[in-house]
Amino acid sequence: MSAPFVIAVPAKGRLQENAEAFFARAGLKLVKPRGARDYRGEIADLPGVEVAYLSAAEITQLLAQGTVHFGVTGEDLVREMIPDADAKVSLIDALGFGHANVVVAVPQAWIDVHGMADLDDVATAFRLKHERKMRVATKYVNLTRNFFSAHGVTDYRIVESSGATEGAPAAGTAELIVDITTTGATLAANALKVIDDGVILRSQANLVAARKASWGAGERETARIMLDRIAAEERARAFREVRARFPGCDDALLKEARERFGVAAPLGGPTSSGMLTLHCPPARVHALASFLRDKGAAEVTVTDIDYVFARDNALYAKLEAALRG
Amino acid sequence: MTSARTTQRPDAPAPDARAQALVASFERAGYARANPAILQPAEPFLDLSGEDIRKRMFLTTDPHGRELCLRPDLTIPVSCDYLASPAAGKPGGFCYLGTVFRHRSEEPSEFLQAGVESFGRADIAAADAEMLALGLEATGHYGIAAPDIRIGDVGLFAALVGALDLPAAWKRRLIKDFNHKSSLVQDLDRLTISAAHARPEYQGVLAALARSDLKGARALVTDLLSIAGISAVGGRSVGEIADRFLEQAALGAQTTLPKETRALIERFLTIASDPDEGAAELRAFARDAKLKLDAALDLFESRAGFLAARGVDVTRIQFSTAFGRGVDYYTGFVFELHDPGARAAGQLVAGGRYDGLLTRLGSTKAIPAVGFAAWIERLAACGSAT
Repeated sequence: MSAPFVIAVPAKGRLQENAEAFFARAGLKLVKPRGARDYRGEIADLPGVEVAYLSAAEITQLLAQGTVHFGVTGEDLVREMIPDADAKVSLIDALGFGHANVVVAVPQAWIDVHGMADLDDVATAFRLKHERKMRVATKYVNLTRNFFSAHGVTDYRIVESSGATEGAPAAGTAELIVDITTTGATLAANALKVIDDGVILRSQANLVAARKASWGAGERETARIMLDRIAAEERARAFREVRARFPGCDDALLKEARERFGVAAPLGGPTSSGMLTLHCPPARVHALASFLRDKGAAEVTVTDIDYVFARDNALYAKLEAALRG
Repeated sequence: MTSARTTQRPDAPAPDARAQALVASFERAGYARANPAILQPAEPFLDLSGEDIRKRMFLTTDPHGRELCLRPDLTIPVSCDYLASPAAGKPGGFCYLGTVFRHRSEEPSEFLQAGVESFGRADIAAADAEMLALGLEATGHYGIAAPDIRIGDVGLFAALVGALDLPAAWKRRLIKDFNHKSSLVQDLDRLTISAAHARPEYQGVLAALARSDLKGARALVTDLLSIAGISAVGGRSVGEIADRFLEQAALGAQTTLPKETRALIERFLTIASDPDEGAAELRAFARDAKLKLDAALDLFESRAGFLAARGVDVTRIQFSTAFGRGVDYYTGFVFELHDPGARAAGQLVAGGRYDGLLTRLGSTKAIPAVGFAAWIERLAACGSAT
């Protein structure tokens, strides 16, 4: 393998911490052999992989160009920054952090505005009354345009805003905004409210693959190994291992447990001595433990699982499909 | 004025002799040659054509932070130059031939347009007919003898909506959406099911307000907003918010469009034939529905008469009440000429009346305007070699 496999990871803040923790859980420890201030790193036991620490916006651009293979970035940036995004990148896996909604927010004082249909009407009335169009402050120019267009809203102008967007209506530089929010607290503090059907995108950090990167056999193998570990860790995290052994343990009981608790039996049905190993969703563990004891189990042990390596790798299958398409 | 084009790049689409001959024929018809700058302020295009055009524009910023663009059409630049000239407000006609720039996936993003803009003419019907006739000259010039002629009239729909007994909110919405066919159909749906959008918890208050006198209700709502410490937020005054809140209250009792009204609009939008038959159908429609559409219909028929007088075979024209051009500045007559073999990626020639545009560009008095543009490369590709 001549050129390295490059994975781009956010260079600072919570996103970086969360991304590193995510990879570490999957047994992909990101290390910086040349010191913590370096913007290049490696993966501890996976040679030939280069980790590039960049801003989320840069990562998104490099993914679109195909100059990195994998990247961790928010779906909001992917949808905003990459025209025809699905042709250039593939969202392989939602990572469960970096949650943020891209929303349309208007002043709370607009008691006559609840839905996008109201906003549409207000926009037209505003133009007729003021001889100018309503201004929308946002850094999500493309998301805004597509969303407004889908709702038939045409009487508006976009004012590009790169920071403190939520202050624009109070400052008089815009009538409303499109911005990201996690808790809504900043919007409320600026006397803004989210429009009922005004959630443009529920975004979170994603592991994204660049379809236009060079994907030779070596790169694919590296990707397969990484995705295998990630899938194994995610599957493990979604289950607890529940074990019991008792005479009444039979196939009928397993069938009932599957139906009631959504368990899987990774090692097959009960052995002749009534030994059973189940994978159970964490929320159902206590109910399952009670059920098994009711059926005669003297003890039920529950343990966390580190990895579940399966023959099928859904994440890698997704990548292969994207590279074929 | 003309020296700007002498340093043209060799690979730019140089206007060939044939295109020059076309625009020379417009000059002979009395239209002065205009040569607006290629680099234009972006503001008027975004403001008048809508944000949707932004994704197709080539934008840049000057050192002072002003947004500039490579002109995506010539109508707005020609209009601006006319308004800035001493001739502003007086009748004046212009023709042009030049490059325009729009992101297009199927065709080059840099392409040639020729066209005509006519400002300040009071003889509306005759001016409309002249534009279509000149448009047909353009297709004829390229050897396309019988293009598909599609016409519509935004003014007819406006007249229908004006004549209908509907709340102001629905009227402005219908007019706005006429140019966006998909949302118009949605609107008709929403008009009949709009209760689904209303807030149940407000219904009682809205119903009570709807029954009270308007002045008192407005004062109450304004006071309530003031108590909350709200004066003017986001460019809308408290009075505006109160007015629309009460307008919603008035709508509350009438959340559904009466079936007959919806049926009328739908029937209107199905009328499509040649202009003479179409006019007869519209007269019959207006009579049945007891709607006064006379002024708009008189203009429509008068225009058809001028077209016939110019030697246009009116029976070949495909008129549809539902035909719009998806550009929200058109106010009246609209038309498109298409290759009958559908070999082009879009219309060969398109235009219409845009009486509101010059006011929106800053003119203090209303100036009627009508014009069209021709897509030179498409004409050349579809036309005969000679």
